[in-house]
Amino acid sequence: MMIDVQHLQVKKNRRTICSIRQLAIQPGERVVVIGSNGSGKSTLLRVLAGLERDYEGRCDVRLTWRERTYVHQSPCLFRGTVLSSVAYGLRCRGVSQQVAAKRAQECLEQLGIHELATSNTQQLSGGETRRVALARALAFKPQLLILDEPLAELDAQGIESVCRVLTELSETTIVIASPTSMPTKISAREYQLDAPQAE
Amino acid sequence: MDLIWDGFKEAIHLVVNCDPLVMSAAWRSIWISSLAVVLAAAAGLPLGIALALATFPGKRWVIAAFRAGMALPTVFVGVVCYAMFSRQGVLGPLELLYSPWAIVIGEFVLAFPIITAITHGAVKALDPRVGETALTLGAGPFRRWRTYISEARVGVVLAVLTAFGRCVTELGIAMMVGGNIKNHTRTLATATALETGKGEFARGIAMGVVLLVIALSVTIVIVLLSREDKE
Repeated sequence: MMIDVQHLQVKKNRRTICSIRQLAIQPGERVVVIGSNGSGKSTLLRVLAGLERDYEGRCDVRLTWRERTYVHQSPCLFRGTVLSSVAYGLRCRGVSQQVAAKRAQECLEQLGIHELATSNTQQLSGGETRRVALARALAFKPQLLILDEPLAELDAQGIESVCRVLTELSETTIVIASPTSMPTKISAREYQLDAPQAE
Repeated sequence: MDLIWDGFKEAIHLVVNCDPLVMSAAWRSIWISSLAVVLAAAAGLPLGIALALATFPGKRWVIAAFRAGMALPTVFVGVVCYAMFSRQGVLGPLELLYSPWAIVIGEFVLAFPIITAITHGAVKALDPRVGETALTLGAGPFRRWRTYISEARVGVVLAVLTAFGRCVTELGIAMMVGGNIKNHTRTLATATALETGKGEFARGIAMGVVLLVIALSVTIVIVLLSREDKE
Protein backbone atom coordinates (compact mmCIF):
# COMPACT_ATOMS: atom_id res chain seq x y z
CA MET A 1 0.00 0.00 0.00
CA MET A 2 1.41 3.39 -0.97
CA ILE A 3 -1.07 5.63 0.86
CA ASP A 4 -2.93 4.76 4.02
CA VAL A 5 -5.29 7.34 5.50
CA GLN A 6 -7.18 6.50 8.70
CA HIS A 7 -9.57 8.77 10.63
CA LEU A 8 -8.03 11.90 9.15
CA GLN A 9 -9.38 15.22 10.38
CA VAL A 10 -8.08 18.64 9.46
CA LYS A 11 -9.34 21.62 11.41
CA LYS A 12 -8.97 25.34 10.76
CA ASN A 13 -10.11 27.78 13.40
CA ARG A 14 -11.75 24.89 15.30
CA ARG A 15 -13.86 24.01 12.22
CA THR A 16 -13.36 20.65 10.53
CA ILE A 17 -12.55 21.27 6.87
CA CYS A 18 -11.67 17.72 5.88
CA SER A 19 -12.76 14.41 7.38
CA ILE A 20 -11.91 10.96 6.04
CA ARG A 21 -12.54 7.66 7.77
CA GLN A 22 -10.44 5.41 5.57
CA LEU A 23 -8.64 5.65 2.24
CA ALA A 24 -6.05 3.22 0.93
CA ILE A 25 -4.26 3.64 -2.40
CA GLN A 26 -2.06 0.98 -4.00
CA PRO A 27 1.06 1.72 -6.08
CA GLY A 28 0.14 2.51 -9.68
CA GLU A 29 -3.51 3.06 -8.81
CA ARG A 30 -5.48 6.07 -10.06
CA VAL A 31 -7.98 7.65 -7.73
CA VAL A 32 -10.29 10.56 -8.40
CA VAL A 33 -11.49 12.28 -5.25
CA ILE A 34 -14.92 13.68 -6.07
CA GLY A 35 -16.72 16.15 -3.90
CA SER A 36 -18.58 19.42 -3.86
CA ASN A 37 -17.01 22.75 -2.97
CA GLY A 38 -15.89 22.77 0.66
CA SER A 39 -15.80 18.98 0.94
CA GLY A 40 -12.06 19.06 1.67
CA LYS A 41 -10.66 17.67 -1.60
CA SER A 42 -7.86 20.20 -1.86
CA THR A 43 -7.07 19.81 1.84
CA LEU A 44 -6.76 16.03 1.44
CA LEU A 45 -4.43 16.52 -1.52
CA ARG A 46 -2.32 19.00 0.46
CA VAL A 47 -2.03 16.46 3.30
CA LEU A 48 -0.91 13.78 0.82
CA ALA A 49 1.60 16.22 -0.70
CA GLY A 50 3.05 16.92 2.74
CA LEU A 51 2.07 20.60 2.64
CA GLU A 52 -0.54 20.30 5.38
CA ARG A 53 0.92 18.80 8.54
CA ASP A 54 -1.53 20.00 11.14
CA TYR A 55 -4.05 17.15 11.22
CA GLU A 56 -5.46 14.46 13.48
CA GLY A 57 -5.52 10.77 12.61
CA ARG A 58 -3.10 8.91 10.36
CA CYS A 59 -1.82 9.64 6.89
CA ASP A 60 1.04 7.43 5.75
CA VAL A 61 2.53 8.13 2.35
CA ARG A 62 5.33 5.63 1.84
CA LEU A 63 7.42 7.87 -0.37
CA THR A 64 9.99 10.55 0.22
CA TRP A 65 8.95 14.13 -0.51
CA ARG A 66 11.07 14.06 -3.68
CA GLU A 67 9.17 11.07 -5.08
CA ARG A 68 5.81 12.84 -5.05
CA THR A 69 4.59 16.09 -6.47
CA TYR A 70 1.51 18.23 -6.31
CA VAL A 71 0.00 20.60 -8.84
CA HIS A 72 -2.11 23.36 -7.32
CA GLN A 73 -5.65 24.16 -8.40
CA SER A 74 -4.22 27.48 -9.68
CA PRO A 75 -0.63 26.53 -10.48
CA CYS A 76 2.21 28.94 -9.86
CA LEU A 77 4.93 29.16 -12.52
CA PHE A 78 8.23 30.78 -11.67
CA ARG A 79 9.54 33.75 -13.63
CA GLY A 80 11.45 32.97 -16.81
CA THR A 81 10.76 30.88 -19.87
CA VAL A 82 8.38 27.94 -19.97
CA LEU A 83 11.32 25.63 -20.71
CA SER A 84 13.29 26.73 -17.63
CA SER A 85 10.14 26.41 -15.51
CA VAL A 86 9.48 22.84 -16.71
CA ALA A 87 13.14 21.93 -16.14
CA TYR A 88 13.02 23.23 -12.53
CA GLY A 89 12.29 19.89 -10.85
CA LEU A 90 15.03 18.16 -12.82
CA ARG A 91 17.55 20.88 -11.94
CA CYS A 92 16.56 20.35 -8.27
CA ARG A 93 17.64 16.72 -8.73
CA GLY A 94 21.04 17.67 -10.07
CA VAL A 95 20.26 16.95 -13.73
CA SER A 96 22.49 18.98 -16.07
CA GLN A 97 20.95 21.99 -17.80
CA GLN A 98 21.25 20.40 -21.25
CA VAL A 99 19.62 17.10 -20.26
CA ALA A 100 16.92 18.89 -18.23
CA ALA A 101 16.08 21.16 -21.20
CA LYS A 102 15.80 18.13 -23.51
CA ARG A 103 13.49 16.29 -21.11
CA ALA A 104 11.44 19.47 -20.54
CA GLN A 105 11.01 19.84 -24.30
CA GLU A 106 9.79 16.22 -24.51
CA CYS A 107 7.19 16.85 -21.80
CA LEU A 108 5.97 19.99 -23.56
CA GLU A 109 5.64 18.00 -26.79
CA GLN A 110 3.68 15.26 -24.94
CA LEU A 111 1.16 17.89 -23.87
CA GLY A 112 1.10 19.59 -27.27
CA ILE A 113 2.53 22.89 -26.06
CA HIS A 114 6.12 22.69 -27.35
CA GLU A 115 5.63 26.00 -29.19
CA LEU A 116 5.43 27.70 -25.77
CA ALA A 117 8.98 26.65 -24.79
CA THR A 118 10.51 30.10 -25.19
CA SER A 119 7.45 32.03 -23.97
CA ASN A 120 7.53 34.00 -20.74
CA THR A 121 5.57 32.17 -18.03
CA GLN A 122 3.89 35.41 -16.97
CA GLN A 123 2.23 35.77 -20.38
CA LEU A 124 0.38 32.44 -20.53
CA SER A 125 -3.37 31.88 -20.40
CA GLY A 126 -4.95 29.92 -17.54
CA GLY A 127 -5.20 26.73 -19.60
CA GLU A 128 -1.61 27.03 -20.86
CA THR A 129 -0.41 27.59 -17.29
CA ARG A 130 -2.12 24.38 -16.18
CA ARG A 131 -0.58 22.33 -18.96
CA VAL A 132 2.87 23.79 -18.33
CA ALA A 133 2.51 23.02 -14.61
CA LEU A 134 1.56 19.43 -15.48
CA ALA A 135 4.56 19.15 -17.83
CA ARG A 136 6.77 20.45 -15.01
CA ALA A 137 5.38 17.80 -12.64
CA LEU A 138 5.84 15.00 -15.19
CA ALA A 139 9.37 16.02 -16.15
CA PHE A 140 11.07 14.29 -13.22
CA LYS A 141 8.82 11.20 -13.34
CA PRO A 142 7.37 11.22 -9.80
CA GLN A 143 6.00 8.02 -8.32
CA LEU A 144 2.99 9.86 -6.93
CA LEU A 145 1.28 12.61 -8.92
CA ILE A 146 -1.27 14.69 -7.02
CA LEU A 147 -3.41 16.94 -9.21
CA ASP A 148 -5.98 19.43 -8.01
CA GLU A 149 -8.67 19.90 -10.67
CA PRO A 150 -6.28 19.44 -13.63
CA LEU A 151 -8.95 19.88 -16.31
CA ALA A 152 -10.35 23.19 -15.09
CA GLU A 153 -9.99 26.06 -17.59
CA LEU A 154 -8.83 23.68 -20.35
CA ASP A 155 -10.35 23.71 -23.82
CA ALA A 156 -11.33 20.47 -25.60
CA GLN A 157 -7.85 20.07 -27.09
CA GLY A 158 -6.23 20.65 -23.70
CA ILE A 159 -8.51 18.11 -21.99
CA GLU A 160 -7.71 15.62 -24.74
CA SER A 161 -3.94 15.99 -24.38
CA VAL A 162 -3.97 15.93 -20.55
CA CYS A 163 -6.19 12.81 -20.50
CA ARG A 164 -3.92 11.10 -23.04
CA VAL A 165 -0.80 11.87 -21.02
CA LEU A 166 -2.39 10.69 -17.76
CA THR A 167 -3.55 7.40 -19.29
CA GLU A 168 -0.01 6.77 -20.57
CA LEU A 169 1.41 6.98 -17.05
CA SER A 170 0.94 3.33 -16.23
CA GLU A 171 3.40 3.10 -13.34
CA THR A 172 2.60 6.38 -11.63
CA THR A 173 0.12 6.56 -8.78
CA ILE A 174 -2.25 9.43 -9.52
CA VAL A 175 -4.60 11.16 -7.11
CA ILE A 176 -6.88 13.73 -8.71
CA ALA A 177 -9.37 16.06 -7.06
CA SER A 178 -12.36 16.92 -9.20
CA PRO A 179 -15.86 18.30 -8.58
CA THR A 180 -17.26 15.77 -11.08
CA SER A 181 -16.23 12.45 -12.60
CA MET A 182 -13.22 12.55 -14.92
CA PRO A 183 -13.67 11.67 -18.60
CA THR A 184 -14.15 7.92 -19.06
CA LYS A 185 -10.79 7.65 -20.85
CA ILE A 186 -9.09 7.93 -17.50
CA SER A 187 -10.06 4.70 -15.84
CA ALA A 188 -9.83 5.56 -12.19
CA ARG A 189 -11.39 4.55 -8.92
CA GLU A 190 -13.72 7.23 -7.67
CA TYR A 191 -13.65 8.20 -4.02
CA GLN A 192 -16.61 10.28 -2.92
CA LEU A 193 -15.71 12.88 -0.32
CA ASP A 194 -18.60 14.39 1.60
CA ALA A 195 -18.46 17.79 3.25
CA PRO A 196 -17.60 17.44 6.96
CA GLN A 197 -20.56 17.65 9.31
CA ALA A 198 -20.81 20.95 11.23
CA GLU A 199 -19.97 20.42 14.91
CA MET B 1 22.70 79.98 -10.47
CA ASP B 2 26.12 81.04 -11.75
CA LEU B 3 27.66 79.15 -8.88
CA ILE B 4 25.89 75.94 -9.84
CA TRP B 5 26.56 76.41 -13.55
CA ASP B 6 30.26 77.04 -12.82
CA GLY B 7 30.19 73.89 -10.73
CA PHE B 8 28.85 71.84 -13.63
CA LYS B 9 31.52 73.25 -15.96
CA GLU B 10 34.18 72.56 -13.36
CA ALA B 11 32.82 68.99 -12.92
CA ILE B 12 33.13 68.31 -16.64
CA HIS B 13 36.63 69.83 -16.65
CA LEU B 14 37.74 67.72 -13.67
CA VAL B 15 36.34 64.47 -15.07
CA VAL B 16 37.61 65.05 -18.61
CA ASN B 17 41.08 65.79 -17.27
CA CYS B 18 40.88 62.83 -14.85
CA ASP B 19 41.67 65.02 -11.86
CA PRO B 20 43.63 62.74 -9.51
CA LEU B 21 41.84 63.94 -6.36
CA VAL B 22 38.38 63.42 -7.87
CA MET B 23 39.30 60.06 -9.39
CA SER B 24 40.85 58.87 -6.13
CA ALA B 25 37.82 59.93 -4.06
CA ALA B 26 35.37 58.53 -6.62
CA TRP B 27 37.12 55.16 -6.81
CA ARG B 28 37.29 54.99 -3.00
CA SER B 29 33.59 55.86 -2.67
CA ILE B 30 32.68 53.13 -5.14
CA TRP B 31 34.74 50.29 -3.70
CA ILE B 32 33.98 51.10 -0.06
CA SER B 33 30.22 51.34 -0.65
CA SER B 34 30.17 48.33 -2.99
CA LEU B 35 32.03 46.15 -0.50
CA ALA B 36 29.80 47.27 2.37
CA VAL B 37 26.65 46.57 0.33
CA VAL B 38 27.91 43.17 -0.89
CA LEU B 39 28.65 42.13 2.71
CA ALA B 40 25.31 43.53 3.91
CA ALA B 41 23.50 41.69 1.09
CA ALA B 42 25.28 38.44 1.95
CA ALA B 43 23.97 38.73 5.51
CA GLY B 44 20.73 40.65 4.93
CA LEU B 45 19.19 38.68 2.05
CA PRO B 46 19.14 35.30 3.86
CA LEU B 47 18.04 36.98 7.08
CA GLY B 48 15.25 38.89 5.32
CA ILE B 49 14.00 35.66 3.72
CA ALA B 50 14.25 33.78 7.03
CA LEU B 51 12.30 36.52 8.81
CA ALA B 52 9.58 36.32 6.15
CA LEU B 53 9.23 32.54 6.46
CA ALA B 54 10.05 31.66 10.05
CA THR B 55 7.78 31.89 13.05
CA PHE B 56 9.24 32.55 16.49
CA PRO B 57 8.31 34.49 19.62
CA GLY B 58 9.10 38.20 19.39
CA LYS B 59 9.36 38.13 15.58
CA ARG B 60 7.37 41.33 15.17
CA TRP B 61 9.82 43.15 17.48
CA VAL B 62 12.79 41.93 15.47
CA ILE B 63 11.12 43.14 12.25
CA ALA B 64 10.26 46.46 13.89
CA ALA B 65 13.91 46.84 14.96
CA PHE B 66 15.14 46.29 11.39
CA ARG B 67 12.57 48.73 10.02
CA ALA B 68 13.66 51.31 12.57
CA GLY B 69 17.26 50.59 11.53
CA MET B 70 16.46 51.79 8.02
CA ALA B 71 16.37 55.33 9.34
CA LEU B 72 19.61 55.10 11.35
CA PRO B 73 21.30 58.53 11.37
CA THR B 74 24.76 58.20 9.81
CA VAL B 75 26.31 60.39 12.51
CA PHE B 76 24.92 58.04 15.15
CA VAL B 77 26.47 55.03 13.39
CA GLY B 78 29.66 57.07 13.04
CA VAL B 79 29.77 57.85 16.77
CA VAL B 80 29.11 54.25 17.78
CA CYS B 81 31.75 52.96 15.35
CA TYR B 82 34.17 55.62 16.55
CA ALA B 83 33.64 54.50 20.15
CA MET B 84 34.29 50.88 19.15
CA PHE B 85 37.37 51.58 17.00
CA SER B 86 39.03 54.15 19.29
CA ARG B 87 41.92 53.01 21.49
CA GLN B 88 39.63 52.45 24.47
CA GLY B 89 36.98 50.71 22.36
CA VAL B 90 36.36 46.97 22.14
CA LEU B 91 37.80 46.87 18.60
CA GLY B 92 40.60 49.34 19.40
CA PRO B 93 43.43 46.75 19.16
CA LEU B 94 42.52 46.17 15.50
CA GLU B 95 43.61 49.77 14.75
CA LEU B 96 40.87 50.28 12.19
CA LEU B 97 40.09 53.90 13.06
CA TYR B 98 40.81 56.34 10.19
CA SER B 99 41.13 53.47 7.71
CA PRO B 100 38.86 52.65 4.76
CA TRP B 101 37.94 49.39 6.54
CA ALA B 102 36.34 51.37 9.36
CA ILE B 103 34.12 53.10 6.79
CA VAL B 104 33.25 49.72 5.23
CA ILE B 105 32.14 48.42 8.64
CA GLY B 106 30.17 51.59 9.39
CA GLU B 107 28.42 51.47 6.01
CA PHE B 108 27.72 47.76 6.51
CA VAL B 109 25.86 48.71 9.71
CA LEU B 110 23.93 51.29 7.67
CA ALA B 111 23.09 48.94 4.76
CA PHE B 112 22.32 45.74 6.70
CA PRO B 113 18.93 46.78 8.17
CA ILE B 114 17.86 48.36 4.86
CA ILE B 115 18.53 45.17 2.89
CA THR B 116 17.05 42.92 5.58
CA ALA B 117 13.84 44.94 6.03
CA ILE B 118 13.13 45.47 2.32
CA THR B 119 13.92 41.82 1.49
CA HIS B 120 11.61 40.70 4.29
CA GLY B 121 8.80 42.84 2.86
CA ALA B 122 9.41 41.62 -0.70
CA VAL B 123 9.44 37.90 0.22
CA LYS B 124 6.49 38.31 2.60
CA ALA B 125 4.48 39.78 -0.28
CA LEU B 126 5.16 36.76 -2.52
CA ASP B 127 2.40 34.32 -3.33
CA PRO B 128 2.57 31.50 -0.69
CA ARG B 129 2.36 29.00 -3.57
CA VAL B 130 5.92 29.96 -4.58
CA GLY B 131 7.46 28.17 -1.60
CA GLU B 132 4.98 25.29 -1.74
CA THR B 133 5.58 24.76 -5.46
CA ALA B 134 9.35 24.78 -5.02
CA LEU B 135 8.99 22.27 -2.18
CA THR B 136 6.72 19.90 -4.11
CA LEU B 137 9.10 20.02 -7.07
CA GLY B 138 11.88 18.76 -4.83
CA ALA B 139 13.84 21.97 -4.20
CA GLY B 140 16.22 21.80 -1.25
CA PRO B 141 16.63 24.75 1.12
CA PHE B 142 19.35 26.47 -0.97
CA ARG B 143 17.39 26.27 -4.24
CA ARG B 144 14.20 27.37 -2.48
CA TRP B 145 16.01 30.47 -1.21
CA ARG B 146 17.35 31.16 -4.69
CA THR B 147 13.79 30.84 -5.98
CA TYR B 148 12.52 33.31 -3.38
CA ILE B 149 15.21 35.82 -4.37
CA SER B 150 14.47 35.31 -8.06
CA GLU B 151 10.71 35.69 -7.62
CA ALA B 152 11.12 38.76 -5.39
CA ARG B 153 13.90 40.15 -7.56
CA VAL B 154 12.38 43.58 -8.00
CA GLY B 155 12.17 44.05 -4.24
CA VAL B 156 15.63 42.57 -3.72
CA VAL B 157 17.17 44.88 -6.32
CA LEU B 158 15.38 47.80 -4.72
CA ALA B 159 16.87 46.79 -1.36
CA VAL B 160 20.42 46.65 -2.73
CA LEU B 161 19.94 49.85 -4.70
CA THR B 162 18.57 51.75 -1.73
CA ALA B 163 21.41 50.52 0.47
CA PHE B 164 24.05 51.49 -2.10
CA GLY B 165 22.49 54.91 -2.58
CA ARG B 166 22.51 55.48 1.16
CA CYS B 167 26.13 54.29 1.55
CA VAL B 168 27.71 56.09 -1.39
CA THR B 169 26.19 59.43 -0.40
CA GLU B 170 26.60 59.20 3.38
CA LEU B 171 28.90 61.68 5.10
CA GLY B 172 28.70 61.07 8.86
CA ILE B 173 30.42 57.66 8.99
CA ALA B 174 33.13 58.50 6.44
CA MET B 175 33.91 61.74 8.27
CA MET B 176 33.93 60.31 11.81
CA VAL B 177 35.68 56.96 11.40
CA GLY B 178 37.50 57.72 8.15
CA GLY B 179 38.79 61.14 9.13
CA ASN B 180 38.73 62.49 5.53
CA ILE B 181 42.44 61.77 5.00
CA LYS B 182 43.64 62.73 1.52
CA ASN B 183 44.35 59.72 -0.73
CA HIS B 184 43.53 57.35 2.12
CA THR B 185 39.97 57.74 3.44
CA ARG B 186 38.62 60.71 1.50
CA THR B 187 35.37 59.88 -0.29
CA LEU B 188 33.35 62.01 -2.68
CA ALA B 189 30.93 62.99 0.09
CA THR B 190 33.68 64.09 2.50
CA ALA B 191 35.57 65.79 -0.34
CA THR B 192 32.42 67.72 -1.27
CA ALA B 193 32.00 68.88 2.33
CA LEU B 194 35.70 69.80 2.54
CA GLU B 195 35.77 71.80 -0.70
CA THR B 196 32.59 73.66 0.25
CA GLY B 197 34.05 74.37 3.69
CA LYS B 198 37.15 75.85 2.09
CA GLY B 199 34.97 78.15 -0.01
CA GLU B 200 35.71 76.20 -3.22
CA PHE B 201 32.03 76.06 -4.16
CA ALA B 202 32.61 75.18 -7.80
CA ARG B 203 34.88 72.29 -6.87
CA GLY B 204 32.39 71.22 -4.18
CA ILE B 205 29.56 71.19 -6.71
CA ALA B 206 31.81 69.35 -9.16
CA MET B 207 32.45 66.61 -6.58
CA GLY B 208 28.71 66.49 -5.82
CA VAL B 209 27.90 66.14 -9.52
CA VAL B 210 30.38 63.26 -9.89
CA LEU B 211 28.73 61.61 -6.88
CA LEU B 212 25.31 62.11 -8.45
CA VAL B 213 26.45 60.62 -11.76
CA ILE B 214 27.81 57.53 -9.96
CA ALA B 215 24.56 57.05 -8.03
CA LEU B 216 22.45 57.48 -11.18
CA SER B 217 24.68 55.18 -13.25
CA VAL B 218 24.45 52.40 -10.68
CA THR B 219 20.69 52.87 -10.52
CA ILE B 220 20.33 52.59 -14.29
CA VAL B 221 22.58 49.53 -14.52
CA ILE B 222 20.74 47.71 -11.74
CA VAL B 223 17.31 48.60 -13.10
CA LEU B 224 18.33 47.30 -16.54
CA LEU B 225 19.72 44.10 -15.03
CA SER B 226 16.53 43.47 -13.07
CA ARG B 227 14.12 44.06 -15.94
CA GLU B 228 10.89 42.13 -15.41
CA ASP B 229 11.02 40.46 -18.81
CA LYS B 230 14.59 39.27 -18.39
CA GLU B 231 14.93 35.56 -17.66
